[in-house]
Amino acid sequence: MRLVVKAFSEACITTGTLILLFVVYVLHWTGVQAGAATDGQLDTLQRQWAGQDVPARQPAAGPPPPKPYEDGKGLAVMYVPRFGKDWEWPVLEGTRTATLKKGLGHYTPTARLGERGNFAVAGHRRTHGDPFKDVPRLRPGDAIVLTDGTTWFTYRVDTKPYRTVPTDIGVIDPVPRASGYAGPGRYLTLTTCEPEWGSSHRLIVWAHLDATRPVTAGRPEALDS
Amino acid sequence: MYGWIWRHLPGNAWVKALTSLVLALAVVYVLFQYVFPWAEPLLPFNDVTVDGQ
Repeated sequence: MRLVVKAFSEACITTGTLILLFVVYVLHWTGVQAGAATDGQLDTLQRQWAGQDVPARQPAAGPPPPKPYEDGKGLAVMYVPRFGKDWEWPVLEGTRTATLKKGLGHYTPTARLGERGNFAVAGHRRTHGDPFKDVPRLRPGDAIVLTDGTTWFTYRVDTKPYRTVPTDIGVIDPVPRASGYAGPGRYLTLTTCEPEWGSSHRLIVWAHLDATRPVTAGRPEALDS
Repeated sequence: MYGWIWRHLPGNAWVKALTSLVLALAVVYVLFQYVFPWAEPLLPFNDVTVDGQ
């Protein structure tokens, strides 16, 4: 009898410790790892961009076709003034679980940054650095600024966060369903989970491309407002 | 279980304590490095995409 009680209490202590450790892992450690991973991604992008020469003028034959995005590699950096001045996240190609641990993920089938169509990006709302924690605070008119190393793209939010179901893939269509956009354009879609710690729904925000400027012309005003 | 491990560790109490500490750290390392990253996607925090699945 004593042995059974002892074994049971040891099992309880072990389970409790395991759960505690797991909570520490999810709430704290994934954030630490995401911080290190995104710093690495931002560094890689900065070095890559520093190495390439920004074309001062387009050649007469038109710009060369852009390099296709590489799965899991960084392609842009996103800034959202509403989320704070220090909010700076790399956007990587693809939305696989491993990719989303290192930054935001661009839906591969959707348009390239700044192109006609819909540039759709997914990000964690909680855990792994909480990048999209404040998505519900976005309001129409808010700026979402991205750079690919040669151009600044300023998008403006058009809708309040829209709640939908996970299977609603129409929200990342070139002309997103339920967005209110009537025709083709240069759109941006953010997707994250809803409710905050759950997975029953998704939260969607749409924006349209408002302005572009070459990086040589300096930071867009939207970043400092 | 813990009593059994303690009795079967070699050396005096100090060596046993040190070995236990190293063992505990090793377990935590394995959990954080392999077990938790495997278990976490099974929880709902990772579902942030619309994918029709």
